[in-house]
Amino acid sequence: MNMPAEDLLRLPGSWNFDYTYFAGETASRFFAELRDNKRILGRRCPSCQRLVIPARSYCDACYVEMGDWEPVGETGTIEAFTILTRAFPGLPEPPLVIAFVTLDGADSAVLNFVEGVDLDDQDAAGAYLFDNDRVRVVFSEKREGRITDFHFESILG
Amino acid sequence: MSREPIGIVGVGQTPYRRSNPGLSAGELVKIAVDEALADAGLGIDAIGAVIGGVAPDALAGIKDIDRMSISVPGRPYFRVNTGGATGSSIVQAALAWIGAGRADTVLVVALERMGQASTAQSIFNTIFDPIYEKDFVLTTITMAALRASMLVKRHGFTEQHWAGIASRNFTNAVDNPLAIGARALTPEQVLASPMLAWPIHRYEACPTTEGACALVLSRAGVIGCAHSTAWIHGMGGSSDTYSMGERMNRPEGSLIEMVPLRRAAEAAYRQAGITDPGRQVRVFELQAPFSIIEAMAYPALGLCEVERSRPFVDEVLAGATGIEFNPSGGAQAVNPVSATALIRIAEAAQQARGLAGARQRDGVRRAVATGQGGATQFSTVCVLSADQPGD
Repeated sequence: MNMPAEDLLRLPGSWNFDYTYFAGETASRFFAELRDNKRILGRRCPSCQRLVIPARSYCDACYVEMGDWEPVGETGTIEAFTILTRAFPGLPEPPLVIAFVTLDGADSAVLNFVEGVDLDDQDAAGAYLFDNDRVRVVFSEKREGRITDFHFESILG
Repeated sequence: MSREPIGIVGVGQTPYRRSNPGLSAGELVKIAVDEALADAGLGIDAIGAVIGGVAPDALAGIKDIDRMSISVPGRPYFRVNTGGATGSSIVQAALAWIGAGRADTVLVVALERMGQASTAQSIFNTIFDPIYEKDFVLTTITMAALRASMLVKRHGFTEQHWAGIASRNFTNAVDNPLAIGARALTPEQVLASPMLAWPIHRYEACPTTEGACALVLSRAGVIGCAHSTAWIHGMGGSSDTYSMGERMNRPEGSLIEMVPLRRAAEAAYRQAGITDPGRQVRVFELQAPFSIIEAMAYPALGLCEVERSRPFVDEVLAGATGIEFNPSGGAQAVNPVSATALIRIAEAAQQARGLAGARQRDGVRRAVATGQGGATQFSTVCVLSADQPGD
């Protein structure tokens, strides 16, 4: 069969559902500390001794329950970053920098936006971030118990 | 291995294009299945089980699209989903099913219908953790771009490396009649394409692609000795922690060292008796939808030391390795998400059988196909040869 393209049926559709995501107790406490005390706390694995940020109830690598809660520093090092240059429907507008940052004292990295970088020239911004990989945590004035209650700010080199 | 060898006796693939408004999901599948059965010289009655592969349903916008398109009445059926590794995971499942004596012959089918989605990257954002990560515009593109920054920082890669790998893949695809619309690109054209997420350009990524791929696998005892067969000499698979942040710095390897791919390769090579993959494997079909992922895969596949990641890419680009990468154009040329890892195995099987047409390479005693899915969380490695194991 070789039906003309304009004769082929194309039905419009959409897939929009509403959800309520359940964070569990460990993530809920992590967010409460962010919101109420402006503190970033992780839990340490009693087996591999890693302090994991953001906090998890169990260590995925060792498959054991995490131990004590411990605070980490409010400065850290960028492990990986990208500069968002292109808009996608329903997602925040570029230009933006996102990065995985290992906060001082932590053994894993946490993802967030990095502000305070001149993004007019992307290549220059990328080179800057390779040379200046230290950031500090900045807490939002109005915190709602979400991962977006803080972001990173580049510490000028 | 004392186990009865298992081989691929039939390969079927649709052409791969952005969308197929002239074909329903089931019609796409039937093209691939009919071709695989004809290649195997078998009817559908010879099939003891069907294993389907579909990754995120939301790409098609039809929940459990395999129910309407892949399952065959009267036969055991199940579906596997390991993201981009789905296609190779169904081959692993078939090996286990046949190896356990549950069937002589299994049909594996993977389908991708993502041409129906108007916003694939917004859908990919939903595969990430809604509690800790999803707010930060994680998509498959930014996930690759984050790794690219690590490769630049730790190994000194430049955009010329990514562009060189991409150029070779797109140029190889011109010889693949299934890669509809393929055109050769120079490294300069790759770098002139729009920036998707710094430092990844449009043509360092993969296109939206629809299509279906099907393979027929049988145990040695039921394969006629004259039938052209791609024997599976080794198959390894491994998984890793979901959170990318927890994989950043570990004793066993960082996020860019592709620990599960390395483990899968070690297992597959051990089964296949491969001790020096750079010399013993002629063709690699890599599930690398981004050229940066291909650069990460080389050391994980034992082709160079991690410290030599960048000089090895220089050697690859200079054609100095004696290895053929992605004769089909690989996942950068066509990347139907659910099927892409199965296509890698199909292409490696055709190379081993000497049936790859214009993209056939010479002297292919062994071919290796990889599968990669879920933000490099799942990996598989499959070793294929026309020589029956044990001969």
